[in-house]
Amino acid sequence: MAFPIIPYIQEVTRLEWLRKFFFVKTAPLLTPPYFRGFPELTGKTCTHALFCMMACPAPGAIDVIRTPGGWQPRIHMGHCIRCGLCVEACPNGVLTSGRILESMFYDNTRLSFSFRIDVNTDLCMGCGNCAVACPVNKLIDAQMSHGGRASTDELLLKVSEGKCHVLHVEKCTGCKTCENHCPNEAIRVSRLLEAVHGQEEEV
Amino acid sequence: MSILQSVKNLVRSKSIHVAYVDVGSCNGCDIEVLACLSPRYDIEQYGIYVHNNPREADILLVIGAYTPGWEEKLHTLWEKIPDPKVAIAVGNCPISGCLFNRPHTLVDPPVSKHIPIAAEVPGCPPRPTEILAAVLSVAPLVFKDYEVAKR
Ligand code: SF4
Ligand code: SF4
Ligand code: SF4
Ligand code: SF4
Repeated sequence: MAFPIIPYIQEVTRLEWLRKFFFVKTAPLLTPPYFRGFPELTGKTCTHALFCMMACPAPGAIDVIRTPGGWQPRIHMGHCIRCGLCVEACPNGVLTSGRILESMFYDNTRLSFSFRIDVNTDLCMGCGNCAVACPVNKLIDAQMSHGGRASTDELLLKVSEGKCHVLHVEKCTGCKTCENHCPNEAIRVSRLLEAVHGQEEEV
Repeated sequence: MSILQSVKNLVRSKSIHVAYVDVGSCNGCDIEVLACLSPRYDIEQYGIYVHNNPREADILLVIGAYTPGWEEKLHTLWEKIPDPKVAIAVGNCPISGCLFNRPHTLVDPPVSKHIPIAAEVPGCPPRPTEILAAVLSVAPLVFKDYEVAKR
């Protein structure tokens, strides 16, 4: 049994082989299309529901801005962590990233939001900034004076006996305006996201 | 262009030394930089070497959101790197502070306030391919004809 040395040498001295051995590099690996990238627009109409901004965990990652063609979400690179929550949260499918929209369709899931308001009664001084700033309160009682006192109990937030009280948490839209206007950081709004199965009910 | 300059260009394009510094990250980006060394991405096939010594480095990868412990230290480290040098911010943290940039936290981003940053790689964490692409695209801009440009 002769060792096939000649074909072997012929093989390794082929110019093609030598070129590959010394110079070829691994091709720069491409990002597969199913990877979650920075969210992109699908072209559907944004209704300024702002669920994307509420779901976003990264500060300053997403804004909804007014353009000549209507509202439009804008992702800020360098802030966005590519989590894809805004894609899942949008009720209109304005954003897309990777396979999120397809898998949501097949699994029949969506994100549902609820809000919780906590008032720290030790810090609250009853100034009523929160109740006056709240846009939901503004719709219910446009005449509300400063101090947050009003006669109706339909309000979302109301100040009585020197403290802020949450009356109808189910009316809250999670905008956090109250939180931003409280001088003492006494009021905290938590946005609770839940992934739920099944069709969307009209709220 | 002198022959010496073209030799320098050739050598520099095939030998880029990288140091990385973590100025307060969650370690996610460090792991992605580490993944660049793995056979799958193989950063060394491009002549990029990671050995963490600023005195030998050409490129500094800055990772993390700049915690108070790095006051002065990061600048000292930057001074130690011989010219020509360049710093690349890897990940959201050195660009914006990422998730850590909230009220009542101690981080002080962006890192470009403290040392000059030439390129930014966004992502939390960025993919190894993106880090690799940033290093490869910045290196020729900085190191090619460095002596000519300095004059
Ligand atoms: S992908 Fe995540 S971090 Fe980026 S904008 Fe959407 S929700 Fe925010
Ligand atoms: S978060 Fe809720 S309670 Fe606070 S201002 Fe907005 S709607 Fe009102
Ligand atoms: S929660 Fe804040 S803003 Fe609202 S009444 Fe109390 S101190 Fe004022
Ligand atoms: S950018 Fe993200 S992964 Fe990288 S260090 Fe910051 S938090 Fe961690």
